[in-house]
Amino acid sequence: MEPILSRNFNVPNAWKLSVAESRGAYETARKTLTSMKPDEITQVVTAANLRGLGGAGFPTGKKWQFLPKETTKPIYLVVNADEGEPGTFKDRYILERDPHQMIEGIIISAFAIRSHKAYIYIRGEYVEPFRRLQSAVDEAYAKNFLGKNIFGSGWDLDLVVHRGAGAYICGEETALLNSLEGGKGFPRLKPPFPAIVGLFGCPTIINNVETLACVPPILKNGAEWFSKLGSPGNGGTHLFSVSGHVKKPGVYELPMGTLLREIIEKHAGGLRDGRKLKAVIPGGISAKILTANEIDVKMDYDGLKAAGTMLGSAGVIVMDDTTCMVGALYLACKFFAHESCGQCSPCREGTGWAFKIVKRIYEGQGSVKDLDTLLKIASNMEGRTICVFADAAAWPIQSYITKFRSEFEEYIGRNVKLEMQNVK
Amino acid sequence: MSEFLLKSLDAEAERILSKYDQKKAATLPLLHLAQDKVGYVTPEVEAWVSKWTEIPVVHVREVVMFYSMYHKKPAGRHHIRFCTTTTCALLGGDKILNHLKKKIGIDNGGVSADGKFSLEEAECLCACEMAPMMQVGDEYHGDLTEKKVDEIIDVISRSPQAAEKS
Ligand SMILES: Cc1cc2nc3c(=O)[nH]c(=O)nc-3n(C[C@H](O)[C@H](O)[C@H](O)COP(=O)(O)O)c2cc1C
Ligand code: FES
Repeated sequence: MEPILSRNFNVPNAWKLSVAESRGAYETARKTLTSMKPDEITQVVTAANLRGLGGAGFPTGKKWQFLPKETTKPIYLVVNADEGEPGTFKDRYILERDPHQMIEGIIISAFAIRSHKAYIYIRGEYVEPFRRLQSAVDEAYAKNFLGKNIFGSGWDLDLVVHRGAGAYICGEETALLNSLEGGKGFPRLKPPFPAIVGLFGCPTIINNVETLACVPPILKNGAEWFSKLGSPGNGGTHLFSVSGHVKKPGVYELPMGTLLREIIEKHAGGLRDGRKLKAVIPGGISAKILTANEIDVKMDYDGLKAAGTMLGSAGVIVMDDTTCMVGALYLACKFFAHESCGQCSPCREGTGWAFKIVKRIYEGQGSVKDLDTLLKIASNMEGRTICVFADAAAWPIQSYITKFRSEFEEYIGRNVKLEMQNVK
Repeated sequence: MSEFLLKSLDAEAERILSKYDQKKAATLPLLHLAQDKVGYVTPEVEAWVSKWTEIPVVHVREVVMFYSMYHKKPAGRHHIRFCTTTTCALLGGDKILNHLKKKIGIDNGGVSADGKFSLEEAECLCACEMAPMMQVGDEYHGDLTEKKVDEIIDVISRSPQAAEKS
């Protein structure tokens, strides 16, 4: 398979404009802006079956069509580069190694949705990626690929890079908007959806870094080409982040629908020598865990949904037989307790309470009753809050305990704390 | 003290504000700018941001409290974020973190006596392919071992910049 998103990842200095241009950057944007109408672009993106790669998998063209047809307000494009989902690092690769493909995607997409102003919200800790991105944006301005009358098309576009300040929740799109407006990252109630009332109260489209990086190749090669790369209804390729107990952790670009087993055994080099697979988180820490005999699943939105979990951010965390599941749940609960924004009580109280109980179990002080309390807390968090963070916090609790119940009970029976690794 | 430093940032603050459609949207970048200069978010920093964004100081303070990257008290000249989330922990991060703590003589949230280092146990920094990993200042360091941690810390401790950079 010809790489589409990662084609420049190993090209030295591809983040510099001269190198990017020698690899064809901005040719598609020039052609598109000078020869196509905005609605035609949206139609191509819709037909390509591009689905948002930030986690929710919402069809991109359909989202763009939610914008009001007539509006006197400015329309904003906001790029979600707040990558924070544990197990995920693909957007960092794009930002660091090939920011121009994403910027080109921003230019085409902004034109398609009739936006003259775009913001990139980049995770605060990504300081080095921010510097590269900012320098790429500056270079694009200097060549008039951004700014006034881009490519002589008559279209103006300003692009501002905005740094976050360390809060996972700001990856949730409406929390991101509040944060971008200078406030705390509290998610907003929907509806109204951002396409109607978004940034500064104006119609806004929020898309992930990788989603936008898909746009230039789609316009270059056509909708049919892109949709055929993936599986039915899940167009294109995807950057899978693979980490944990594999020989070759890293980012792998593969067609949507590639089998999870193939990703682990073939692309990521398989498990460390002498180890057996125990469990896999397929889509970032929020996704329900799969056991070793559940990995013959297709890695796309529909395949993982059918398997009772989700593709999420496509962050694959591989755990071998040295992993203690109680320890793994402790880590997940620690994360969610730390990152709950505190706006809704079921989430604020639930994540804190769950973490306390899991910590007690992990430290060898738990009882079997605690497991049922945890499951009860989890079901009381699901579907009762403004955003789905609380649901995401409930899923590891439910799936780890249900799928590895006997290990939890055994651990509790021993009444001692085990080391995080090499427990067996 | 920090008022003088902040005065020197006025031109940059104006440039930042000009990029945004509304003044309040400049809150986060102005806080970053001022913190980089002053070292942490002092009451003067909050007042300065409030002046530029026309947001009441109490609201600026709420924002400061919400985000983990704003230092509410003086940090070390080299702030270390050590990832303690799943992949890093599964690959032995705990043990290396304990080693680091001994090496620089501080615990989570602490600042070393010489003001060189401060330590924060962080959640996933999204560089799990290089787990276990940490961020020192701006930079990511991955595939950590106890030996590698020693090397990183020793290089910084020896560099004259460590003393100067504020
Ligand atoms: C708790 C939470 C965290 C999220 N974090 C991110 C993130 O870091 N990056 C991202 O692109 N989307 C994230 N999302 C999804 C966004 O809300 C949104 O769906 C996405 O940015 C839309 O872009 P897309 O359609 O191109 O995927 C998160 C959602 C939730 C509920
Ligand atoms: S778990 Fe440590 S960087 Fe992701």
